[in-house]
Amino acid sequence: MSGSETADAQIVVDNLVKRFGSFVAVDHVSFRVGHGEIMGFLGPNGAGKSTIIRTLCGLLRPSAGRVWVAGIDVARDPERVREHIGYMSQKFSLYRDLSVEENLRFFGGIYRVPRAELPERMRFAIDMAGLGGREKTLVATLAGGWQQRLALGCAVLHRPPILFLDEPTSGVEPTSRRRFWDLIHTLAADGVTVLVSTHYMDEAEYCDRAALINQGRLIAIGSPEELKHTALGGELLLLECEALGPTLAALRQAPGVIDSSVFGNAIHVLVDNAERSLRELPAYLEQRSLRPSRLQRIDPSLEDVFVRLIAADMVKRSEAA
Amino acid sequence: MRWRRLKAIAVKEVLQTWRDPRSLMIALLLPFTQMFLFGYGVNLDLQHLPICTFDREGSQLSQDLLKHFQASLYFAIVHNVKAYPEIVAAIDRADCRVGIVIPPDFSERLNDSGTASVQAILDGTDDNTANIAFGYAASVVSGFSNDVQLSWLDRQGRTLQQVQPMTVQSRVWFNEDLVSRNFIIPGLVAVIMALVGAQLTSLTVAREWERGTMELLVSTPVQSSEVMFGKLIPYLMLGWLDAAFCLVIAVLWFEVPFRGTLLTLFLTTTLFLAVVLSIGYLLSVVIRSQVGASQIALVVTLLPTTLLSGYVFPIDQMPSFIQDVTYVIYSRYYVTIIKAIFLKGAGISELLMPILFLVVYAVAVVALAARAFRKRLD
Amino acid sequence: MFARIRPIVIKEFLELKRDKGARFLLVVPPIIQMLLFGYAASYEVYHVSTSVLDLDHSQESRELISRFTSSSRFDVVKVAQSQYEIDETIDTSAAAVALVVHAGFAELLRKGQAAPLQVIVDGTNSNTALIALGYVNTIAAGFAQDYLTDLTRRVQGAQGMRQVQVTLEQRPWFNPDLNGRWFFVPGVMGTLTLVMIVNLTAFAVVREREVGTLEQIMVSPIRPAEFILGKTVPFFLIGLGEVALVVAVGLLWFRVPFVGNPFVLLLGTALFLLSTLALGLLISTVCSTQQQAFATNFFVLNPFFILSGFSFPIASMPQVLQWFTYLNPLRYYLIVIRGTFLKGVGVNVLWPEFLAMAIIAAVLLTLSILRFRKSLE
Repeated sequence: MSGSETADAQIVVDNLVKRFGSFVAVDHVSFRVGHGEIMGFLGPNGAGKSTIIRTLCGLLRPSAGRVWVAGIDVARDPERVREHIGYMSQKFSLYRDLSVEENLRFFGGIYRVPRAELPERMRFAIDMAGLGGREKTLVATLAGGWQQRLALGCAVLHRPPILFLDEPTSGVEPTSRRRFWDLIHTLAADGVTVLVSTHYMDEAEYCDRAALINQGRLIAIGSPEELKHTALGGELLLLECEALGPTLAALRQAPGVIDSSVFGNAIHVLVDNAERSLRELPAYLEQRSLRPSRLQRIDPSLEDVFVRLIAADMVKRSEAA
Repeated sequence: MRWRRLKAIAVKEVLQTWRDPRSLMIALLLPFTQMFLFGYGVNLDLQHLPICTFDREGSQLSQDLLKHFQASLYFAIVHNVKAYPEIVAAIDRADCRVGIVIPPDFSERLNDSGTASVQAILDGTDDNTANIAFGYAASVVSGFSNDVQLSWLDRQGRTLQQVQPMTVQSRVWFNEDLVSRNFIIPGLVAVIMALVGAQLTSLTVAREWERGTMELLVSTPVQSSEVMFGKLIPYLMLGWLDAAFCLVIAVLWFEVPFRGTLLTLFLTTTLFLAVVLSIGYLLSVVIRSQVGASQIALVVTLLPTTLLSGYVFPIDQMPSFIQDVTYVIYSRYYVTIIKAIFLKGAGISELLMPILFLVVYAVAVVALAARAFRKRLD
Repeated sequence: MFARIRPIVIKEFLELKRDKGARFLLVVPPIIQMLLFGYAASYEVYHVSTSVLDLDHSQESRELISRFTSSSRFDVVKVAQSQYEIDETIDTSAAAVALVVHAGFAELLRKGQAAPLQVIVDGTNSNTALIALGYVNTIAAGFAQDYLTDLTRRVQGAQGMRQVQVTLEQRPWFNPDLNGRWFFVPGVMGTLTLVMIVNLTAFAVVREREVGTLEQIMVSPIRPAEFILGKTVPFFLIGLGEVALVVAVGLLWFRVPFVGNPFVLLLGTALFLLSTLALGLLISTVCSTQQQAFATNFFVLNPFFILSGFSFPIASMPQVLQWFTYLNPLRYYLIVIRGTFLKGVGVNVLWPEFLAMAIIAAVLLTLSILRFRKSLE
C-alpha cells in the first residue's frame, strides 16, 4: 500500500501479526478506520484487543504486516505517530498520588500544549469529567467513573486527531459507562477518530462500526446494523418456557434450527426461516410434552451475533486442529 | 530534548516524592541515623587498650615495669589479678586484650643472667588488635629495658650519660588528634550518598511500570532522555540537601575539621551523585519490579562502598588482586576526594585523577541508562 | 496440628524452589561476602609507603634507616634529598609515613644526649596512622635497645648487660599465627544469617499479605500459631543451611581452624536463628507492602549490624550504645562463634550468651505472635 491510498483512512492495519514467543496474539488482522469514525473492538478477554491497540501506539512492534496511523508507518516512525494520538490504557494510567489539576498540568506539559491554551483545555477536561470544584483532590480518592473521565480528559488535552481507548469502561458502573460513551460521541462529532476496545458486547451499539476479535483473529467487522442482519446467518426467535433444559435439548434436534442458547431465563433460537419455524416448532415441542409460554420473532442484538459468531469460530478452529 | 516535557516530569517527580513517606524516610531519616550510628558506634582508635597484669613477683622492679605500662597512652590497666586462671578468664571474657605476666623470679633472673622475660598473653581471636598490642607492649618493655640497663650502669658508677639513646618525635598531619572519627565520617558521607541516591532512583521507573503509568507515558512524544533527566533532577537536589545535612552534622556536631572549599565539595559531590543516581535509575529501568530493583541497588552500592572504597579498610593494605578490583568501584574515588577535601583542604587541581575517573563513570552509566530505557513493551 | 503445618512448609519450599532470584540471593552474596571480608577487610598494616631523609649520613643513621627498609611493615618508596621533598610525599599521599634523621644524629647518640628521629604521619586514616606509629616506635625502641646493649658490652663486658624482653605466649586455642582473616570469618557468619533470615521471613509473610493469600489462609481452620510455625520452619532450615555454607567456606577455603564442639555451635545457631526469625516476623506485622518491609528491614538491621562487635569493637563505643548491644542477639552469637571456632570453649563458659539469646528469642517470639494475631483482626 502506498501513502496516497491510505490518505483517507486515519488508521490502516494490513495483515498484522504479533507473536510473543510461540504464542500468536494477533493473527493476520486487517481493517481500516476512517476520519471521525468510532470503531469498537469487541471480544472476550485475551482475544488480542489490547495487543492490537498497543501495536497501533507503537508500544509493540509487529511481527509481520504493516500499520499506519495518521498516514505514518508506525513500525518505522513510532515517535512521530505519538504526536498525533491520545491513549488511555486499561489501568487508566493516572498518577494516583497527584491531584486532578496536577495530572492535567503534567500531561499538558508532556504534550506541550501551548501555554496560552492550557488553562482553557484544562477547564474543558475538568468540565467534561464533571470534576469542577475538585481540582485539588488526589486522584486516589476519586471513584472509578471520575478517574475514567479524567483519564480521557488527559488524553485529549492536546487535541489529538486519533484516540485509542483500551477498555476504558472496565469495572465502571453502568451510568458512568453511558456518560463516558456520550463523551466519546461528542469528541467524534468534532472529528476525532476513536478506536475503543471493550468486553461489554452491548457497547458495540454505540459505535459506528464494530470489529469482533477472537483469539487474535478478526472474525467479523461492520456497522451494528450490518452485523445484526448479515453476520448472524439466520433469524432469531425468543422462546420462554418452564423446562429450559429439556426444551433446549429438544430444540437441538428440531428441523430448521441452526442453534439455540440460553439468554437470561429464555432461549434464543437461531432458525433458517422464522415464519416456518414459528409455525412448526410449537407442534414439534408439543410432541415432546413441552409447552413454551412465548414464542416470537425478535431482532437479534449484537450480543446474540457475537456469541454466535464466537461459538462458530471456536467450532471452526477445533475442526481445523 | 524539550524543556517543557522535562519540566513536567521533574515537577511530577517532586510532588510524588514529597507525598511518599517511604522516599522521604530514606532521603532524610537515613542519613541522620547513619551519621549518628557510625559516628558514635565506630571507634577504631587503638589507644587505652585494656590490659590485665599478673605480677607474680611483686618486687620493686616488677612494679616499675607495670608503671611503664601504666604511663603508656596505648594501654590502660584494668585488672591486677592474683591468679593465672583469672587472667585467662579475663581475656576469654574480653575484659582485657592483653595479659602481662611477670614471672616470680623476674629480678633474680635479671640479676643473675642478665636477661629476663615477660609474658604477653594475647586474645588471638582479634588478631588485628593482637598484633598491634604486641608491638606496643614490645616498645614499652624496650623502654623499660633501657631504663634498667642505665640505672644498673649508674649503680656501678658508670653513668653513660644517657637518658634515652633515642627519642621519636612524631607529628601527625591532617588528623592531628588521630581521631578515627575524623576519617570515618567524611567517608561515611560517601556511603550515605551512595545508599540514598541509589535507593531513591531505583524505585522511580519500576514503580511507574508496576502502576501502569509508564505505559501511558511511553505512548506520548516524551523522549527517554527527558524521562531520565526529568526524574533525576529532583533526586539530585535531594542529594544536595542530604550532603549539606551530613556536612552540617559532621562539622558542627562531630567537629570533624573541614579544610577544603564548599565549591570543591559541591562540584565533586554533584559528580558522584550523578553516578550513583544513574546507577539506581539504570537498575530501575532494567528491573521492572520495585522490590527487585531496590534490593539489587542495595547490594550494588552498600557492599562495595563499605568494603572496597577505602572508607574504613585501607585499600593499600588489601591483597593486590583486590586492589585492582577497587579501580572499578566508583565510590573509591569519591571517598578519596572527600577525605582529601575535609582533612587536607585539597582543591580540584589536586584531585584531578579521581575526578576524571568519576567523570568517565558518570558518562558511561548515563549512556547505558539512556540506551536501556525502551519506549516499547516488548 | 502438624497435618496443617505440613502443607504450609511444603508450599514455602516450593515457592522458594521456583524463585530463582531468592535461590541466587541465598547462595551468591554469602560467598561473595565471605571472600570480600576475608580478603579485603583487615586493619592490619604492612608495606606502609614510607619516605626517608638521611641528613646525617653516619653509620648509625644508615643502620637505623635500614631497620625500616628491611621491615615488612614499611615500604620505602622514596629516598628524599630535602625536607621539601619529604613534605611533598606526605602532601601528595605518595607516602603515609616520613622519617627524617637530621644532621648530628650520630654525634648526639655518642654524646649520650637524646637523638631524635623525626616522624611525619599522614593522619587521614588515623587507624593505620596509629598502628604505623606504633611500629615506628617498636623499631626505634629496638634500635635504641640494641645500641645501648652494644655500648654497654663495650664499656662493661658481657656481665654488664641487663636486658628485658617480652615474649609472646602461644596459646593453642587462640589464634597462634594471628591470622587476620580469621577474625572476620566468624563475624560474617553471624551477620549474613541475621540479614538473610530476617529478610526472608519478613518478606514471606508480607508478600502473602500484599497478594491477599494471607486472608485466604486465615479463613481456613488453621490457627495463627500453626501458620507461624509453618512459615518459620523452612526458614529455620534454610538458616541452618546458610550457616553450614559459610562454615564450609571458612573451613575449606580460608582454613579457619575449628577446635570447639560442633554441637555447641549448633545449639548457639539454633537459638540465634530463633531470635532472627522472631525479628523477621515482628517486622512483617508492621508492614503491609514488600516495599515497606524492605525499608523497615534496613532501618532495623543496620544498627544491629553495626552495634554488634562484628567489625567495630564494642569496648570503644559510648556507654549508651554499649548497653544497646546487650539487646542484640548478634552480639552473643558472635561470641559463641568465635568461642567455638578459635577457643574451643563449651557451654560452661558460653552459658550466659545462650541464656541471653534464649530470652531475646522468647520475648521476640511472644511479641510477634501477639502482634500477628492482632494484625489479623
